[in-house]
Amino acid sequence: MLSEIEQFLYREARLLDERRWEDWINLFADDGYYWVPAYPDQEDPYKNVSIFFDDKELMTTRLNRLNHPDIHAQKPASRTLHVVSNIEISNEHDVEGEILVYSTLQMMEFRLDKQTSYGGRAQHLLREKDGGFELAWKRVDLINCDGVFEPLAIPF
Amino acid sequence: MTSLSNEHLRTLVQPDRVHRDFYIDPDVFDLEMDRIFGKIWLFVGHTSQVPNPGDYITTTVARQPVIMSRHRDGEVHVMFNRCTHRGAQVCLEQFGNTKRFECPYHAWVFHTDGRFAGAPYPKGYEDGFLKKEKLDLVKLPRTEIYRGFVFSSLSTDGPEVDEFLGPMKDHIDAFCDRAPDGEVEACAGMFRYRYAGNWKLQMENQTDVYHIMFTHVSTTDDDGKQFRREGAEEDEAGKVKVLADNQSLSEQWEELPLGGHRHGHVFMGRFAMDKANQGPVYDRYKAAMEESYGDQAEENMTVRTHNSIFYPHWSIQHLTQHIRVMNPISVDCTENVIIPLKLKGAPEEMWQASLRSNNNSHSPSGMVMSDDMEVWVRCHEGLKTQSTDWVVLARGMDEKYSGDNQGSYDSKGTSESGARNQQLAWVDLMCGES
Repeated sequence: MLSEIEQFLYREARLLDERRWEDWINLFADDGYYWVPAYPDQEDPYKNVSIFFDDKELMTTRLNRLNHPDIHAQKPASRTLHVVSNIEISNEHDVEGEILVYSTLQMMEFRLDKQTSYGGRAQHLLREKDGGFELAWKRVDLINCDGVFEPLAIPF
Repeated sequence: MTSLSNEHLRTLVQPDRVHRDFYIDPDVFDLEMDRIFGKIWLFVGHTSQVPNPGDYITTTVARQPVIMSRHRDGEVHVMFNRCTHRGAQVCLEQFGNTKRFECPYHAWVFHTDGRFAGAPYPKGYEDGFLKKEKLDLVKLPRTEIYRGFVFSSLSTDGPEVDEFLGPMKDHIDAFCDRAPDGEVEACAGMFRYRYAGNWKLQMENQTDVYHIMFTHVSTTDDDGKQFRREGAEEDEAGKVKVLADNQSLSEQWEELPLGGHRHGHVFMGRFAMDKANQGPVYDRYKAAMEESYGDQAEENMTVRTHNSIFYPHWSIQHLTQHIRVMNPISVDCTENVIIPLKLKGAPEEMWQASLRSNNNSHSPSGMVMSDDMEVWVRCHEGLKTQSTDWVVLARGMDEKYSGDNQGSYDSKGTSESGARNQQLAWVDLMCGES
């Protein structure tokens, strides 16, 4: 089981690095969401601002934009490297058919002669589906979530 | 300090163009910090960021670290974040609640209104020294609050805040009066990000209608409309029509009202939306507004402006509901702070939609801001070239001055009048004539 979960997370990271946005969105359940809070220890995405808080519709809008020929902030495009590590299955999430996975995540981004690195703790809630998994939600708590950013385009 | 003469400064700003040094010369920047940011009213924060006694935020105003705090008597204070002993900043948390500020160096303590509260081992000082010496945290020379918006000036001289804001006070009123409770609340934190470009590039962009359909074209769907920016999920809400139905430039942009007043303040009219906001949540909002304002409710609910840009460094965006503060860090670095504002008394669903909209458009990953920042950085880099000295701002030279004593003018469409009006204020301030 752990090996299948690892494979899911590695594949997710690779899809982002390969800019396969549609395949990445398809990992999510229809009611799935992707959340990157702008403050530590958030419990409710409607309490404070978020760096990303995308349902599938918004993910699609955002990622269609990444495919748009005139997305100036990505001309030239970023290259990214997502590194997933410290994968651990939560033993506290006790819902039939669901697995909560903790991991640590680093993303290196290179654009216009500048390399930037981001790091944080990730959580994936996986739902068993058709012998595999779908992503109910993914949450990334960046260590610099309430810091000063430069523009971001690629999901962590 | 630099020795740029007024004569030289005046040559940088021509009626229909500005010299590249206006944006890229570090000496000009230093002088701006002194003569613009060091003189006039700056935005510090909103009182709702410190709702309870002992609440504080730390922030930066014109490169000066400051604390805005609410004392136990309810008064809000703005003071420099600098211990009066040896100079250390007394607090580095972005926000919090405290009884007193304590310096980490020698544990000097200060009340939340800035008053000196004591130093350890006082016997080391001559009798009466600690009482006689002025040891309170130093307040910014002037602070005024208007409907919760906190303004400070680094100078003791200059016009009062009422006079400085002039007709722009109506824009603050219009925003607050959209709330059934007549108040807005900054209760969702803020975004902070930086771009490697001059602060004025962004100030001038904010009433630049000309760029919208080009810079932001990647935010549009196949019908030329932008993603949703307002209205509760349960309701029907309009989308901004960035392109016309035939994917060409939309004539509606050429009719968009623009305007401004003396002191460099400018504004832009509300964008054309594809449909009106309506539905069950909006009906509840309308009912709450009618209860508060009666016959005036409909007028208060009518949003006429997209944004109101207060010289030199902040704006209200009425569509997604936020304050934007543009803090100059250096000649080629500007820090943005985006503070979403809740309309107090309006349905919670509307606030949730506004928060989402702020996330989508104006967070560090915001689909609107990221292309803007890309462009400003490219401008700053491009202006460093020796190719030509001038930036051309000759579009729509059609300002119609009303002749009032507020320097008010009307303009419209893709005119670059907003940038020109800010530049008039720049010359006055930089040459000491405002």
